[in-house]
Order: sequence, then C-alpha cells, then structure tokens
Amino acid sequence: MRHLKRLIVLTVVALSVLGFGAAHGKVYIDIDSPSFQRFPIAIADFKPLSPGAGPGDFPVWFADTLGRNLLVTGYFTVLDRKAFLEDPARAGITGETTRFPDWTAIGAEYLIKGGFQTDGRQLTTEFRLFDVVRGELIVGKRYVGTPDDRNRMVLQFANEVLQALTGEAGLFDTWIAFVKRSGDTSDLYTISFDGSDLRRLTNYGSLTVSPRWSPDGRRLAFTCFKDGNPDIYLRDVKSGLTEKAVSYRGVNLPGSWSRDGEQLLVTLSRDGNQEIYDMTVSSRLLRRLTREFSIDVSPVRSPDEKQIAFVSNRQGSPQIFVMDADGGNVRRLTTEGNYNTSPAWSPKGKRIAYEGSVSGRFQIFVIDAAGGTPQQLTFGGSDHESPTWSPDGRYLAYSVRGYGRSRIEIMNANGQNIRVLHEGNEGCQSPFWSPHIR
Amino acid sequence: MKRTLLAVVLIALVCSLSLTMLSGCAKKASLKDQAAMTAPAKAPAPAMAAPSATPADDAAAREKALREQQLREQAEREKAAKEAAEKAKKEAAAKLAAILKELQIPDVYFDFDKYNLKPLAQTTLKNGAPAYMKYPDYKLVVEGHCDERGTAEYNLALGQKRADEAAKFLVDLGIQKDRIKTISYGKEMPVDKGHDEAAWAKNRRAHFVVFPPVK
Repeated sequence: MRHLKRLIVLTVVALSVLGFGAAHGKVYIDIDSPSFQRFPIAIADFKPLSPGAGPGDFPVWFADTLGRNLLVTGYFTVLDRKAFLEDPARAGITGETTRFPDWTAIGAEYLIKGGFQTDGRQLTTEFRLFDVVRGELIVGKRYVGTPDDRNRMVLQFANEVLQALTGEAGLFDTWIAFVKRSGDTSDLYTISFDGSDLRRLTNYGSLTVSPRWSPDGRRLAFTCFKDGNPDIYLRDVKSGLTEKAVSYRGVNLPGSWSRDGEQLLVTLSRDGNQEIYDMTVSSRLLRRLTREFSIDVSPVRSPDEKQIAFVSNRQGSPQIFVMDADGGNVRRLTTEGNYNTSPAWSPKGKRIAYEGSVSGRFQIFVIDAAGGTPQQLTFGGSDHESPTWSPDGRYLAYSVRGYGRSRIEIMNANGQNIRVLHEGNEGCQSPFWSPHIR
Repeated sequence: MKRTLLAVVLIALVCSLSLTMLSGCAKKASLKDQAAMTAPAKAPAPAMAAPSATPADDAAAREKALREQQLREQAEREKAAKEAAEKAKKEAAAKLAAILKELQIPDVYFDFDKYNLKPLAQTTLKNGAPAYMKYPDYKLVVEGHCDERGTAEYNLALGQKRADEAAKFLVDLGIQKDRIKTISYGKEMPVDKGHDEAAWAKNRRAHFVVFPPVK
C-alpha cells in the first residue's frame, strides 16, 4: 500500500495539460439494470512514445494486464487482438490518429490506447479511453513513476475507466483481508481485488481470526490467541504497530466500526455470557446493547448507523436479528432454515447478505433489511461462508470450503461471474473487504 | 597432600635450625662467611630430610590410601544421593502423573449447535469432580470446541458456552470457582480433521487441562 501512495504522488492528471477532451459527466453503463450486457472493449497494444522507449514486451504487457483487470470486474468483454483491423504501424494513440470505423467494425464500443517511455529509472505512461461510436475521448491520464510501478499504473487507470463508465470508482484500491490456516496456527493476509499482491500481515504462531477494517482503511481490528485468550487487537496497517485493546475473561471479538472510526461494536463474554457492546475506541468505554442469556454475536452496523444486524440463538437456533443502534426494538430477520449467521450489511443499505444452511451445506443469501424472502446466491456441494460486500456494494467476497480445498471467491452481487481470488489446501476463511485505501 | 608437605617442611626446618645454632656456637664468622655458611647449612637440610623420608613415605602412603578411601566413600555417598534424588524425582513425577491422571476428566461431547450437557457428559463430570476435592491445589482449564460447520465467530461463542456449561456443572459439584478457567477455541482446533459426522462428533467437545500448583 505504501508504493500506491508513492505512485499517487507521482501521478499527473493530464487531461488539461495534454488538451484531452472534456470529461464526461454521463454515466455510460447502467450495470444495475437487469438487462445489463457486458460491454465490448478493445485494448490496442501500447506504443513506445519514442523509438526504443522501453522493454520489447511492454506493448503487449500493458494491453494484457489492463484487459485482465477489466475482465475481472465482470462488466466487460475484452476483444481478441487477432480481430483488430487498424494498422498499428500507422495509427497513433490520440483521437486524431485513430480510425474509429476500424473499431466499430469489429464490434467494439470502447477502446483503450496507450503509450510508454522510459528514461533511466523513470517510466512515463499515457492511457486513453475512447467512446468508439462517438469517436471521442472519455478520459486520458499520464502517470510518472518507475518501471516497478507499472502494475499500479494499470490498476489506477482501470479505476478511471470504471469511474468514467459506471459513475463509481473501481475497486483496484481495495483489499480483502482474510484468515489463512497453517497447521495449528492461523494468520491474517490481504489480497488485492484483482487477486494479485498477496501479503501476510501477522505471524504470531497462534490463532488469529476476525479481521475488521476501520472505515478509513488505516486500522484493522482482529482477535488473536497469542496471550492464551482470544483478545482484540488493533493494528495500524501502514506501520504494523499493534496494540492489545480488549482482553476480558472469555471471548473478545470485534464487530463493525462506526463511520468516524470512534466506535467499535464488540462481542464479549465478560459478563458471563456473549453479549454485544458498543465500545468507544479511545477510552475503551463499553455500552452494553444486548441482555439475553443466549449467544449474541457478529454485530454489523447499517450504513446510516441507525440499526445493527447480529446473530442470536435466543429463539433456539442461530438467526439474524436487527436492533436499533441503542439495543432496542429487536426483531428477527431470517425465518427460513435452522442456521443463519455472518450478516453483512450492504453499503447501499437495503440488503443484508448472510450464510445459511441448506440441506447440510452453507450457502450465501441476501435478504431485504426490512425483511422478506431471501435470495440464494451460491449453490453446489461446498460450504460458502462469511460474505463481505465491496465498498460499492456490487460484489460479494466469501470463503468456500469443500473437497479438500479452501478458497476466497468473489461474485457479482447477483451471484454471477464467480472468480477465485485465492486458493489453498487449508482453511481460507473470514474474508473482510477494505474500504478504498488511497 | 597438604599434610605430607607440611611434615617434610617441618622436619627440614627443625634440622636446619639446629645446624645453624650448632655452627653459630662453633665459631664466630664474618657476615660474609655466615652468609656463605647459611647456604651449605641449608643445603643438607633436604639431605637430612631424606633419611627421615622412610617414615614420611609411610605416612604419605597411609595418607594416600586414606584419601582414596575417603574419595571412594564420598563417590559412593554422592552416587547414593544422586540415585535417591533420581528415585525421588521419578517417584514425584510418577506421583504427579498419577495425580494428573486421576484429575484428568475425559472429553465430553455435545450435539450440533448445542451446549447442554448430555447425561453421559454429566456422568463423566460427576466421576471426575471428586479428585479435585482431594487435590485442592490443582487447577483446571476447560476448553470449548466446535465442529467445522458454521462461522468462526458463532463457533467461538458456542465453544465458550460449552466450556462455561461444563465449568458451571463442576462448580455445582463443589470445585471452587476460582480454580476453573474457561477458553473457547471455536472450530479452530479440531482433534479429527475429517469432514464427516464421525469427525464432527469428536470435535464438538469440552476438553479439560489440569494445572499442577505453581511452586
């Protein structure tokens, strides 16, 4: 994440400098429409901006990497370069030097062109997104960094493409934290939205579980057994500095943060039973929200912070309940099935994803936060658990366990376009999606 | 060794002293001569000591024999002590092992998503509790475990419930509350890594870890 920051410092927004076309306020793709079709996009091989401007594999590398990243969003069909008609030797990377009919002829609706040039340790790149039908530039960017930054440059521009075409930033500056087992220990890892950049965060030789990003992405709350008890720790993501925050007798588990990062919902068994508390992070002051002699666990705030969804077995089996932020007005949300846990409130506010047991297997469901009929999103013989929403509410990440393998997967919020983020022999579990980390 | 050396030195000293006195009486000599005489006078001393070496040798031999005897005895004493200590240690270890075995309550098992103690579990705890009255210094940690199904978090809560139920039952049977600690490992520490009901049944358990008194 540090190198991302460096890149941003080096980034030059080139729209005005290069005299690129005016920014489009129009949202091109209504991806929430039920009739949404993937949009055909062509990505031309990148061109050296001066003769011998960089390594020979750069033209294809930039085009392929960008294509792969756009593909994983599920909103594009990337056209095969074998179908391209335009003569790359004669065409340039600007609108004036592009023959748009050559691109409409092969069915492209959008086109990306770009170039690069190296100067010692400095790499300069240009990216341009065109509306092929209108024959005009939508967005253009120039990035300056080192050759090691080139992947970040591609992800940055992929974000721009998403922002320009869908009206919302892409997720290339988000990470998914998850727990990965190794023997009798488990640790926290993060992986980028595109499945790259796997990093190990903790190494305590102990059990480490339940990662929870703070809303600014700068802190991570989690539970670790390293001192012989499941205690809550807070980690500064950038520095790695970690402090033990909550260590009462028994279970100490983090739930969701407040938007201002001042409050953290926690599950504690310090009063002799698992109850939900709202903790002021700075003072560690606790406000108890539940008072039932049953399990109350996994609290998650609604985006407007007026309600809290949680799991309780107060009526016999674990079910999702919703209460007001002060603990009042408790109502049961899930009524089907005998095991519904892991609520995740959509950032859009209207829906709650959770895992439920169907014929002995766990599957991901979504239900309207006001109640109603749940919609099953995953199927098949594996267990699908711990759903977590992307910050834009368009995707769900979750863990899959079965047939001796364990994975973290991502799908569109409608259950389509499943792809594997990470796979291992042992337990990959409890994914939690970060906010945008800029 | 020290004693033998002392005897030899003493004898030599006595001899040389008497010789000096004798010569001192015999003639008046210059300081130089005296100094010259002192040396030869001293020189015979070992020679004088040598003839008396026969009894000194005997003494040394006796001393040596005695010393060896003492060394042997000391070694034997040490060996015996060591053996005794080892035996005591072994016995203590055996005793501790026996106590731990006596105090070890077998795992008790739970139904899926349940934390009530089944009759068999209650019997197990009833059988296990009396040993804790006998050894009041020993403490106990009750671990709550779950099978792999369901979320990590709910299972951590469920494991805590299981540990608490077992601990509460033991307190009701008379074990002091402050001697029992509980911890939940949720589904994180299965004894059987299988993925079927047979494995799950073994993993839904309360496990008991005995702690001897800290000395």
